[in-house]
Amino acid sequence: MESVEAIYQYAWLIPTLPLMGAMVVGLGLISYNDATNRLRKPTAAFIVTLLGAAMALSFALLYSQVQGHEAYHYLFEWVSVGDFHLSMGYVIDPITALMLVIVTTVAFLVMVYTDGYMAHDPGYVRFYAYLSLFSSSMLGLVVSPNLLQVYVFWELVGMCSYLLIGFWYDRKPAADACQKAFVTNRVGDFGLLLGMIGLFWATGTFEFELMGDRLSQLVELGMIPGALAALFAILVFMGPVAKSAQFPLHVWLPDAMEGPTPISALIHAATMVAAGVFLIARMYPVFEDIPTAMSVIAWTGAITAFLGASIAITQNDIKKGLAFSTMSQLGYMVMAMGVGAYSAGLFHLMTHAYFKAMLFLGSGSVIHGMEEVVGHDPALAQDMRLMGGLRKYMPITAITFLVGTLAISGLPPFAGFWSKDEILGSVFAVNPALWAIGWLTAGITSFYMFRMYFSTFEGEFRGTDKGIQKQLKHEQFQRMGMSLGPGAMSTQELALEEETDHGHHAEKPHESALSMTLPLIALAIPSLLIGLVGTPFANYFEAFIHPPGEVVTVAELAEAFELSEFVRMAGLSVAISVVGIIVAVLMYRTRQISASAIAAKIPFFYQLSLNKWYIDDLYEVLFVQGSRNIAKQVLEIDTRIVDGVVNLAGFVTLITGEGLKYFETGRAQFYALIIFGAVIGLVVASGIT
Amino acid sequence: MDTAQFPWLTTIILFPFLAAFAIPFIPDREGKTIRWYALTVGLIDFALIIYAFVTQYDIHSSGMQLVESYTWVPALDLKWSVGVDGLSMPLVMLTGFITTLAILASWPVTLKPRLFYFLMLAMYAGQIGVFAVQDMLLFFLMWELELLPVYLLLSIWGGKRRLYAATKFILYTAGGSLFILVAALAMAFYGDTVTFDMRSLMAKDFPINLQLLLYGGFLIAYAVKLPIFPLHTWLPDAHGEATAPVHMLLAGILLKMGGYAIIRMNVEMLPEAHARFAPILVIFGVVNIIYAALTSFAQRNLKRKIAYSSISHMGFVLIGLASFTNLGLSGAVLQMVSHGLIGASLFFLVGATYDRTHTLILSEMGGVGKKMPKIFAMFTTCSMASLALPGMSGFVAELMVFVGFATSDAYSFSFKLIILALMAVGVILTPIYLLSMLREIFYGPENQELTSHEVLVDAEPREVFIIACLLIPIIGFGFYPKLLTQIYDAKTVQLTEQLRAESFLVAETVEPPLALVGRAPKIGE
Repeated sequence: MESVEAIYQYAWLIPTLPLMGAMVVGLGLISYNDATNRLRKPTAAFIVTLLGAAMALSFALLYSQVQGHEAYHYLFEWVSVGDFHLSMGYVIDPITALMLVIVTTVAFLVMVYTDGYMAHDPGYVRFYAYLSLFSSSMLGLVVSPNLLQVYVFWELVGMCSYLLIGFWYDRKPAADACQKAFVTNRVGDFGLLLGMIGLFWATGTFEFELMGDRLSQLVELGMIPGALAALFAILVFMGPVAKSAQFPLHVWLPDAMEGPTPISALIHAATMVAAGVFLIARMYPVFEDIPTAMSVIAWTGAITAFLGASIAITQNDIKKGLAFSTMSQLGYMVMAMGVGAYSAGLFHLMTHAYFKAMLFLGSGSVIHGMEEVVGHDPALAQDMRLMGGLRKYMPITAITFLVGTLAISGLPPFAGFWSKDEILGSVFAVNPALWAIGWLTAGITSFYMFRMYFSTFEGEFRGTDKGIQKQLKHEQFQRMGMSLGPGAMSTQELALEEETDHGHHAEKPHESALSMTLPLIALAIPSLLIGLVGTPFANYFEAFIHPPGEVVTVAELAEAFELSEFVRMAGLSVAISVVGIIVAVLMYRTRQISASAIAAKIPFFYQLSLNKWYIDDLYEVLFVQGSRNIAKQVLEIDTRIVDGVVNLAGFVTLITGEGLKYFETGRAQFYALIIFGAVIGLVVASGIT
Repeated sequence: MDTAQFPWLTTIILFPFLAAFAIPFIPDREGKTIRWYALTVGLIDFALIIYAFVTQYDIHSSGMQLVESYTWVPALDLKWSVGVDGLSMPLVMLTGFITTLAILASWPVTLKPRLFYFLMLAMYAGQIGVFAVQDMLLFFLMWELELLPVYLLLSIWGGKRRLYAATKFILYTAGGSLFILVAALAMAFYGDTVTFDMRSLMAKDFPINLQLLLYGGFLIAYAVKLPIFPLHTWLPDAHGEATAPVHMLLAGILLKMGGYAIIRMNVEMLPEAHARFAPILVIFGVVNIIYAALTSFAQRNLKRKIAYSSISHMGFVLIGLASFTNLGLSGAVLQMVSHGLIGASLFFLVGATYDRTHTLILSEMGGVGKKMPKIFAMFTTCSMASLALPGMSGFVAELMVFVGFATSDAYSFSFKLIILALMAVGVILTPIYLLSMLREIFYGPENQELTSHEVLVDAEPREVFIIACLLIPIIGFGFYPKLLTQIYDAKTVQLTEQLRAESFLVAETVEPPLALVGRAPKIGE
C-alpha cells in the first residue's frame, strides 16, 4: 500500500521532469550555444528519457486509478494576502490519469519521430527544448486542481504553441501564423479570464465542483440571475472555443501548420487543441446545470464539425487538410460535451489523439519524402497535386496512413467508429437536428480523408512534373502578392526564376528512417484497437470516466445496451461513411467522375470551401485592418490633440515656430532651472533663518 | 556598536551621494576605473540595503521601521526623518537593484564618463530618498533632487531631440511638483501645529473640502509622474531620447514614485477624499490601459512603443489602489515592483538592439533574429513577461488587481462589469503590439539593407548577465508570489482596514453573493 501512495506523492514529478529538461537545455543554449548545439543526440536522449520516466509514472497512476484508487489531492498556498488565499497543487483522478497517459505517450512518440524529421535542421536542440517545455506545460494543465491553475498552464501551452509555430522564424508565413495563433487565443482567454473572475466573484472559489454546487444553489435561491450564470459559463467557454479551434475563433489552427510537422501532430492535433475539451469536462459541474450554456456548446461544436469538414474537401495542402479535419473532429467532441455525453466526448478525444497524431506524423513522413524530390519548399512538398503513387515508395507510411483514414472515417472495428458512434447516438437522443449535422459530417469526413489517401498514395507519382510545380509556385505567389500588395510582386517573381534553374533533386521519394516509421507503427496499434475499451456492450471506458457524482459500472451499462438501436444507429453512420468512400473512389481512384467538372458546375460552393468560407478575409478587413486604423487614429489624437492641449497653445507655438531657436540656445531651460532652483532655495532659506 | 542603533537608512541614502563626490579625484582617462568604482559603490549600497532589511526589518509589523529622526530646522519642525514600511521597503530594494544593474548597463557610455557616473550615483541617493523620507518637505526636496540628474542625463546623453525631451520632462515634472509643495505647505500650516512630519499630518483631521483640494493637487503632481492620461505625453518623448541605462531608471523606478506617492499621500493621508476620488482613478486606469495600448500598437519607433506600454501597465496600479481590497492594493504594489523589473529589462534590450542596428524605426529592422539569437530569446522572454504570461510576476500582479477589483464591495455591479471587460480588452491588446513588435524586429527574412551597413553581433555575457538578473526575480515572483507579497502584506492589510474603517463606503452597492455563501456555505441543507 505504501508503494502505491508513493507514486501519488511523487506525481508532481510528471510535469517537473520535462520542465527540468527544458531548463537545462535552455540554459545550455543561452550560455554555451555552440557546445550545446553540438550535443545533438545526447540532448535528445536526455529529454526523451525524462519524458519516458514521466510516461512510466503516468502509466502507474492510470493502472492504480483503474484499480479503483480514490482521487488524490495535493495543495499548497500560492498567494496569500490578508485573509485571501489561493492554492495550487495537483489532483490525480481518472480523467487526469487518462490525460497524463495520452499526453505522455503521444509526446514520447513524437519526440522519437522528431529525431528523424529534424535530423538536418540547425535548430534540432532548440526544438527539443521547446518540445520538453510544451510537454511540461501540458502535463501541468491536466493535473490542475482548480480553474486558476488551468488558466496558468493554458496560457503557457499557448506560449509554447507560439514559439513552435514560429520555430522557422525566418519564414514570413510562420511569423504571421504564430502571432495570429497567440492573439486569437488571447481573444478566447479574454472570455475565459472574465468568466473565471465572474464565477469567483459569485462563488468565492476556483475549485470546479464547489463552484458548480455553489453556483446552482445561488441560482436556485435567486441570489444571482440565471442569465448572469449563463453569461459567465459562456465567457468561460470562449477559452475552449479559441484553444480547440471552434467557430468563430478557429482561424488560427490551419495557419498553425507553418510549424514543423511533429508539432502539428503533438500540439495541433493530439494534445493542446484537445485541452479545450478537457476544460469543458472539468467545468462540467458548472455547465451541466445551465441549459443555455449547454446548447451554445453543442451548437458551436456541430457548426464547427460541419464547417471544418466542408473546407477540408477542397484543400490541396496535405497538412491544411488534416488541420481542418482536426477542427471538425474537435467539433464532434465539443458537441458531445454540449449534449451531456461527457464520457463519449472524452472517449473521442482519446481515440482522435492517437489516430490524428499518426495521420499528421504520416503526412510529415510524406513531406519528408517529397522534399527529396521537390526541395525544401512547403508550397511544393505539401501539395497533394504533386504526390500520388507514394505507396510503392513508402509502404509503411501508406499502410499506417490508411489505418488512420479508416479510423477517422468511422469504420468498425477501428477506434474512431466506437467513439464517433457513441457521440452520434447520444446526440440523437437529445436533438435529432444536431445528429443530422453530425451524421452528414461523418460522410464528408470519409470522403475527404479517402480523397487525401488516394491523391497521396495511389495512382501515378506526379512529383517530377515541372508543369504542375510551376503552376503551384504561381499560385503561391498570387496568394502572397494578394496579402503583400502589388509592391512585393517583383521580388517574388525573381525567386520564381531562380527556383526553375536549379532542380537537381532525387527522382523518387524514399521511405523515412526507422525513428520516423517506428512511432507510426506504434500509433497504428491504438488507432486500431483502443476503441474496444469503449464498446457499447462492454463499456469499460465509461465506467472509468464519468461525470463527477455519477457512478456507473460496466454491467449497468451493458444492461442499458439495446442491440437493435445500436445496429440502427451504427448502420446509419457506417452507411454514410461507405457512401463517402465510394464517391472518393470514383473521383480520385478510378477517376470515373471528374472532380474539376463538379467544381465547375457549382463554382459558388467550390470557391466558398476553397476560400474557407471567406472568414479569414472578413477578419482581416474587420479586425486586423480595423484595429490598425483605430490605433493610428488614437496615436494621431495623442500627438496632435492631447500633447498639444496639455503643452498649452503658447508652449506649442514656442517650440514649433519662432520659439524653437530660443529653445535651442538653451536659454529657456536655463530660466526654467533658475525659477525652479529659486523655489527650492526659498523653501530651504526660509527654514534656516 | 549596537546594530539596532546604527543609522542604516541615512547611510544608505548618503553613501552613494558622498561617494559620487570622490569621482572627480579618481585618476582615470578612459572612464574604465570610474565605471568599476561606480559599480562597486552601487553594489555596496545594495548589499547594505539587503543586510539592513534582513537583520532589522520585521515583516510581521505594519508600522514604520528603521526610523531615524534628527531635527534639522526646528523653527519649521523640519526634520531629517527617514523610515520604511511595507510600502517603501520593496521599492527601496527595487531601486538598489535596478540602479546597480543600470550602472552595469552603462558600460558602453564613453561621453563624459565622470559626469555620467556622478549623476547616476546622485540619482541612486535621490531615488532611495524619495521612498524613505517621512517628512513632507524633505520628500519635496528629494523629489526635486532626483529631477536634476535626470534632466542632465537626458539633455547630454540623449538622442537627437534630447533638448526638447529634457525640457518637456523638466517643465512637466517641476510644474507638477509645485502642486506637491503647495499642498504640503497647506497641510503643514493647517490646524494648531506646524509640522511636516507625515505621521503627525496623518493625525490631523482635515475637513472634507480641503481634503478633496489637497487630493487633487497631489494627484496632478503624481499623475505626471506615474503617468496618467492626459498628462503622459512627456514620457514617450523622454523615453524616446534617453540612453538605455537612464531608460531603465526612468521606467524601472521613476514611474513607481508616482504610484508610491499616491498610495502614501492620497490614499493613506486623505482616505475620505480617496473614497470620493477612487472611481475617477479607476476610470483613468482603464483609459491608461486601453489608450496607451492602442497608441503603442500604432507607434513605429521602438522606444516610444515600449514607453507607451509602460503607461498601459501603470493603469493596473491605479485600479488596484482604488479597489478598497487587500488583494487589489497588494496587486498594485506587486505591479509596481514587477513592472520595475520588466520595464527595465525591456528598455535595456531595446538599447542593446539599438546598439547593433542603429535605428529605432521598426520598418528598418526585420529578420535580425538569425544573427542575434540570444537577444531574440531574451527579448521574447521579456515581452512574454510584459504581456502577463503566467509564471512571471506581471501575471500575478494583474490577476490580483482583476480579482481584487471584482470582489470589491465599493462599486456597483454594472460599473465593475464594464471596467473589468475593458481591462480584459487590454489583455488582448498587449500581445498585439508586443508580438507584432517582435515579428517586425526578429522574424522574417533578413533585411538586406540593414545587414549591408550594420554588423549584427549577438549578446555579450555582460548583457546576458543583466537580463538573467532581472529575469530571476520576475520568474521567481511569478512562480511563487508569496516570496514578495509576504514582505509587505502586513502593511497593505493594515492600510486596507484603515481605509475601509475611515472612508464612507457607498452602502447601496450590491452585496456580492460570495460574502453570503462564505458566511453560510451550506445553504439549502
